[in-house]
Amino acid sequence: MSAAFTLYDYVLSGNCYKIRLFASLLAMPYQSVAIDFYPGYEHRSERMLSLNPAGTLPVMVTSAGGQVLTETNAMLAWMALHDGGAQTPWFPAVDPALGPQVQQGLAFGAGLTDSIGLARLHAMLDWPVDGEAAKRAGLKHLRALELHLTDRQIDGGLWWAGAHPTIADLACFPYVALSPDAGLEHDGFPAIRRWLYAVRSLPGFATMPGIHPLHELR
Amino acid sequence: MTWRPVGLTRDVPAGRVMRAWVDGQDAVVWRSTRGVLSAWDNRCPHRGMALSHGFVRGEDLACLYHGWHYGAEGGVCSLIPSHPDLTPPDTIKTRAFQSAESDGVIWVRLEGSPDLAPIDLAPPAIAPGLDPLRSFEIRASEGDIAHGAAAKPFEPAILSLLFNPIAHDRTLVTVLIDAQATSDQRKLASRWCEDVRREVEA
Amino acid sequence: MSLAYARNDWYVIADRNSLEQGPRRTRLLGDEIHVSGSYAHPVIKDASGRMLPTQIKFDHVWTTVGDRPRPLFDIPEGNEPGRRLVPCGMVRVKCSPLRAVENFLDIAHFPFVHTDVLGAEPYTEVEPYKVEIREQNDEVWATKVKFFQPLAAKSAAGGITTDYEYRVPAPTTAVLYKTCPPKPEAQDVITIFVQPRSETECDVWPWMALYDDDTPYADLVQFQQMIFLQDRSILENQRPIKLPLDPRMEIPTRSDLTSVAYRRWLKKRGAFYGALAETL
Repeated sequence: MSAAFTLYDYVLSGNCYKIRLFASLLAMPYQSVAIDFYPGYEHRSERMLSLNPAGTLPVMVTSAGGQVLTETNAMLAWMALHDGGAQTPWFPAVDPALGPQVQQGLAFGAGLTDSIGLARLHAMLDWPVDGEAAKRAGLKHLRALELHLTDRQIDGGLWWAGAHPTIADLACFPYVALSPDAGLEHDGFPAIRRWLYAVRSLPGFATMPGIHPLHELR
Repeated sequence: MTWRPVGLTRDVPAGRVMRAWVDGQDAVVWRSTRGVLSAWDNRCPHRGMALSHGFVRGEDLACLYHGWHYGAEGGVCSLIPSHPDLTPPDTIKTRAFQSAESDGVIWVRLEGSPDLAPIDLAPPAIAPGLDPLRSFEIRASEGDIAHGAAAKPFEPAILSLLFNPIAHDRTLVTVLIDAQATSDQRKLASRWCEDVRREVEA
Repeated sequence: MSLAYARNDWYVIADRNSLEQGPRRTRLLGDEIHVSGSYAHPVIKDASGRMLPTQIKFDHVWTTVGDRPRPLFDIPEGNEPGRRLVPCGMVRVKCSPLRAVENFLDIAHFPFVHTDVLGAEPYTEVEPYKVEIREQNDEVWATKVKFFQPLAAKSAAGGITTDYEYRVPAPTTAVLYKTCPPKPEAQDVITIFVQPRSETECDVWPWMALYDDDTPYADLVQFQQMIFLQDRSILENQRPIKLPLDPRMEIPTRSDLTSVAYRRWLKKRGAFYGALAETL
């Protein structure tokens, strides 16, 4: 099977991992190009800036149609539709109830990148940002997620929305799973722990550094 | 020593592990695949790794670092993967605490005192007709939280709060709700928890 | 006193990339350090403005705050022609600098922490190996260390047994010499240079000297970063934070010979910075 897309990728990036994870869950082959985000700051090189002026990672270039996507939510949507078409349970975009809920989750995921993601970069790589402010914002996000997942639990649901995992879950998973990298532990968040375990138990789940495999399932 | 409410039964199903704080002691609370609940010192005696990061295999909890297995009965080391043919000496073990469950709440107690009154043998009884709702942390003292909760009584259904002081300014709150409460009332109660936290932490 | 001993070692404080990002502040042995200048002319000062001595070695900038620093060790393999030298930046970890080194020396964790990369269940057994203190330079050496890594594809039988040698030339540096049978002449050198920010926090600077002309540079760096980040979540969850030197506090087995030797060696030198030494 040929590669569905090329991914300009960094192994430690939670955002890049969203794509790697989804590709693994879908068994979707892709071509990976490692970009030396740190310590080389290669995402700011001329070559990468001409591909993506925003200078962010990941960047996806689709094989069919050669689309260049620079937003992970767009990449997740592309992958879901490429895999299963409009009926894909991963992205029920036009379902009147689930569609908007998934959009909520995708937006929430972006907020996690900007809070926990930043706090993590600061804690691990001494990124020049206000790590304490990012961590405080991250805690607010974790609490909001705990509330949402508790609501869902009351309704008998396991995922962000509906009865099947969606790209909303994938948009939120990496930085929540990695929040201990920034000193934000999961103690006191039982609904989040339950949900993290559910994602990690999915067939085809792939890890990244900081997220261990479930050895009990081996 | 007092029984401390560390979380809900449904938050530690079979095969799962969580961390808990009991009177300043870092503890691991976990359930074997056959349902045996244990509470131990959260520290593998090998290289001090937190057992709360570990994984359950059958009736054993294994440490994430080197995979040392500890049995639910007594917390004795049963397997050292780097020496699979070795029977580990039974001096290699974790320190076990007392754990109990009632009405959907998990309680842990550190060493009981030798002259325990019979009334202390079991964790506190919970009023009948209540369901566990959720368990969450507030960065405030037990006193401030009790005060804050009393100032904003929840009208739609009866609530009961249990407190586990983690630190002088950090408390785990376990909330139970009238078993007859509807889903909507439960969600409202969950939001009430957020309101109380917001007020008390301000 | 543990700080007096620690002050007289050289420590990594910067690399080329970090200097290009501009002046910054960091910490060494509990004190603030100001880093500026260029890789060719680094300017390292303590909080009072005093210039600290520097040397450029192994693609990193080293400094010392001691008045009688011990000479910096050598890694001669770094000068061998045909080697690719790969500095990997730094990773900050809330752990004792000594715990970071000890983790690097350990192989029994490979199947659990570096699963399907450096090892996998059920191939968890660690065979006996040799540990010694080489008196000439007073260094810890572990030799004849080997570990089996099954092949990734489940259908493929067999795997690779990799040979390892470990060397500790200073309390906060560890060097690994790694040989894979397919290329016995290509012994890789992988090191960590640990900068102790305090007794409970450090910046770890990995560095490699490899015989590999084919793999893209970014992939080489990221493989090492992946391995180290897998260890970080272990390192930040060990208690006590400081490394116990009293042998009664933690229980080793035969697979822990290197760690036992390392702890004894630290004790003998008086290298207690980052160690729990109260019970000694």
